[in-house]
Parts: sequence; C-alpha cells; structure tokens
Amino acid sequence: MAEIPNVCLSLSSRSENVLVVRQALTGVAEAIALDPVETNDLITAVTEAANNVVLHAYGGEEGPLEVEVYVRASGVEVVVRDHGRGIGLEEAPTPDGPVGIGLPVIHALTDDVELKDLAGEGTEVRMTFQTPKAGALEPFGEDGLRRRTVGEAELASTIEVALAPIPLARAVLPRILTVLAARAHFSTVRISDLGLIAGALATHAGDSLDGSHLSVGIDLEPRRLRLRVGPLRAGRARTLILDPARDGVGPAIERLAADHSVAPEGSSEMLALQLVEPR
Amino acid sequence: MPSSASASPSRLHAVAGTTTDVSELFARWRQHGDSSAREALVRRFLPLTRSLARRYGRSSEPFEDLLQVASLGLLKAIDRYDVERGHPFPSFAVPTILGEMRRYFRDSGWAIHVPRGAQERALKVRDAQERLANERGHAPTVSQLAEYLELDTEHVIDALQAIQAYETLSLDAPRPGSDGDVTSYGDSIGHDDERYELVELDATVSSVMQHIPLREREILRMRFAEDLTQTEIAERVGISQMQVSRLLRRSLDQLRTLTHATAEPH
Repeated sequence: MAEIPNVCLSLSSRSENVLVVRQALTGVAEAIALDPVETNDLITAVTEAANNVVLHAYGGEEGPLEVEVYVRASGVEVVVRDHGRGIGLEEAPTPDGPVGIGLPVIHALTDDVELKDLAGEGTEVRMTFQTPKAGALEPFGEDGLRRRTVGEAELASTIEVALAPIPLARAVLPRILTVLAARAHFSTVRISDLGLIAGALATHAGDSLDGSHLSVGIDLEPRRLRLRVGPLRAGRARTLILDPARDGVGPAIERLAADHSVAPEGSSEMLALQLVEPR
Repeated sequence: MPSSASASPSRLHAVAGTTTDVSELFARWRQHGDSSAREALVRRFLPLTRSLARRYGRSSEPFEDLLQVASLGLLKAIDRYDVERGHPFPSFAVPTILGEMRRYFRDSGWAIHVPRGAQERALKVRDAQERLANERGHAPTVSQLAEYLELDTEHVIDALQAIQAYETLSLDAPRPGSDGDVTSYGDSIGHDDERYELVELDATVSSVMQHIPLREREILRMRFAEDLTQTEIAERVGISQMQVSRLLRRSLDQLRTLTHATAEPH
C-alpha cells in the first residue's frame, strides 16, 4: 500500500483551524466529484475527529494537528493525528460514566474506523469512506513528498500543506488560502486576487515541481500572508514568473503580490510570496 | 489509558443522563406501554438529537425540517433499543438518527437542493459585497459580510468560492480577439454546437459544475474559456481527440441533466 498521502496538512490544534480542515476536504470532495451526501458524511466525520483533537488532545493547550488524505481507487481515507495525550477513543463507556457522541458519529458515517494509540506520542484516527468516485483522480509519482511539519515555535501562525496531483491542488489550495486570508482580515477583493494566484500557481507550477507534491507553507499575520511555494527545480521559480507563455502566474504575481523572492532549499528552490491587505 | 470520569472530563462530548434512570424509563415504556416514560426519553435525548442535526446538517435549510427528521430517528431508536444488550442508548441512537437524516437527504433530492441554496447564498453575498463597498468606500472583509448577512464564516467562504468558480468560466469575460479587439465569449458563440449548448445552460451552470469531475471541468474550461480546439486539448491532457470529444459530450449531457433538475420546482 503506497502510503503517500494526496493531502498533508500540518497545523495547530486551535479551534479556528477546523475550518481549514473542512475546506481542504471540501476541495478534495469537489476534485473527485463526490455527491453532496457523500461530501457531508466525509466532512462531518472528519470534523468530529478534528474537534476531538482541538478539545481534548492537549488539555486545553495548543499542539500539532495533522491531517492526511489518501485518495485511492476504492475510496478516500483520512487520518487525523495528534501528538498529545490522545482523544481517549479507546475508553469504553462505563455504565455510569458519560458517553460521548463523537466516536459514534464517526462510526456511523464511515465504512471503517481504526483507532491507534501511538504509545505515548498521541492518537491516530483512520477513517475510510468507500466510493468508486475516488478512482477519477489520476495517480501521481510516488516519490518526492518532503514532509514539512510546523515546529512548536511557529505553531500559532504557520500552516504547512502538501498536495498532489495538480488537479487536486487546484481545488484545495484556493480554499485553504481563502480561509486564512479571511482570518487575516483581507477584503473580498484581495481574497479574489489570492484565489487567482493560488489557481495559477497550482496550474502552472506542475511541470516545475521537484517531486510529486506542491508544498505551500503559509505564515499568517493581520493583513499579511507569506507563502513559500515549492519545491521547484533549480532555476524554475524565475521561469515560472517571467515566462510570458505562462499567462497567469507572472502577471498575477506582479500585480497582486507585494513582494516575491526565490530562496534555495537543498538542490531545489522555494518561491516566496508576500500578500498584503493595504488598508 | 484508563481514567475515571471525575479525574478526566469526558473526552467525547458528554451526554446527560445516567444509564440507571434511563433504563428505568425504557422498562416503563417497553414493558408497561407507559407513554409518559417515552415522552421523558424523548425530552432527555432531544439535546443529543438537536446536536446531531446541527453537526450533520450544516448546509441544510431550514434547520427545523431537519430537526423533525432527526426527531423521527430518535423515536425509532427509542422503540427499537434493546436494553438487554447492554449498550448505552446514545451509541445505538446516534447511528439510527444519522441514518434517518441521510435517508432523508437521499430521498428528498437534497443533493439538488444544496447547490441551489448555495447558489442563492452566493448571489446574496455578491450583492452585499457591492452594497457594502458602495456604502463604506472599500470592499468588506469576510467577517463583515458574515455579520451583515447573518451567515457563518464558512457559508460566506463557500459563496466566495462559488462566485470565483463562476467568474472563471463566465461567458461574458472579455478576451482578446486575434486582431487585438476585445470580444466576449458570448460573441464568438455559434461557431459550433458545443458552444451553443453551454450558453443555453449558462444560467444555472455554475451551481451544478461541482458535480462534474475535475478533469472534465478542466476540459470544459479549456474548450470554452481558453478557446482551444479538441485537438489542442487532446495534446495538453495527453488523450486522443476522440476521447476529448466523448468527454465533452458526456459533461455537456451531464450539465444539461443537472441544470434541468435544478430548474424543476420541488
């Protein structure tokens, strides 16, 4: 079983990030054309798992929340993981004790659920949703995902995303960025600009990528988003922006981004963009 | 990882009520037909039912309809619950209530209602965006829109995505003509049948577009927004021109079916 996810999200367990997870899954559902009922099942179940991490994994503190989505021929699998004390899913309800409904909801809406206690390193909830529609997505090359996880220090303001293949990235990335731009108090006009950039990047970065996944790191400040996009093959970031044949990325970035630069990273490079809400 | 209820607060949204008095109520209802016991059970588990309806039916409107359906599920669960099996009632009731809501969604054509509701919201958001921009002299933020329209943030974000998806494929979008003139996609219609069909479907096409698989949507976009020929698309996507033709045909048919379905009153 190829264990390389189509979507990797690494973010903080703060409650507002559940919306990032929901929008990412909405994008996945859109990319493989799930019907509204399937979409609703998927999003509701994953929301329960994510909310449990938010509420219980770190005893009210903030900690890492990881979400992975695998789109396979037979269906979609979503893993929600924490590195805290877990969400206690294995605790059987006692006759007098309180009974939660998070887990029953997940069970009722998924075809299979696997709960794993990561031996003191957190808990993993693995949910399977069978749907033949998942087969609509093209497979991607299996190597090249360099997992980026958000470090403890940046947890409050940073989100890391990795997406493959490109059509899926096109559906998911603009949604994630919209949630974050909304949170950074961007106006709807700037959000629409951002959508254009995200769509153009996801479309045109494809043949410049060094590997299978489009990785985007996002730093969030009031009225400012910093994006790191890559990993691109050496020299490709400039081409991506300057190549006149690629209508879309260059002009969109020139017009909409406050600043852009290229930073080497190992043998590849990352395109750094800064977007600001001027007001 | 054992923990007592007192040391560790319930990790999974606690539901009020201890099993003991609940089983007493079940005994009164099931063994003696005491309908006041059944009512007491309904009252006790109504918060659970309401909470499930809210979690599952986020995009369903009106909420009261869905709550009715969920309550029907609760009644079924109360009548079918077997105390002897020893499972706590909620773990039996949750799948029963969710099952009732899912069946309702499938049977009532909710799959068609949802995009319609979303489309209406998108229009509302677009109007409010313009109105607020005019009144205040600058474009609103998402939270200002949400407050103004009394919608939650996620609904506004979904609406913005829908507006953007529509604009990307809008037939009125200007594009440079070969002689440098700016024409609109609408102007170049009539050259062949596919274009004509998409125009006919234009009014409701955005709301149903999400049901078209992404690859086919891409092909539609290349054909109608980028104005590529079938052969050019075939080269880009890496399939044969015949396959492009077939995919275009299929997605147009699918759009037609979906569009007609949304146009029917329910």
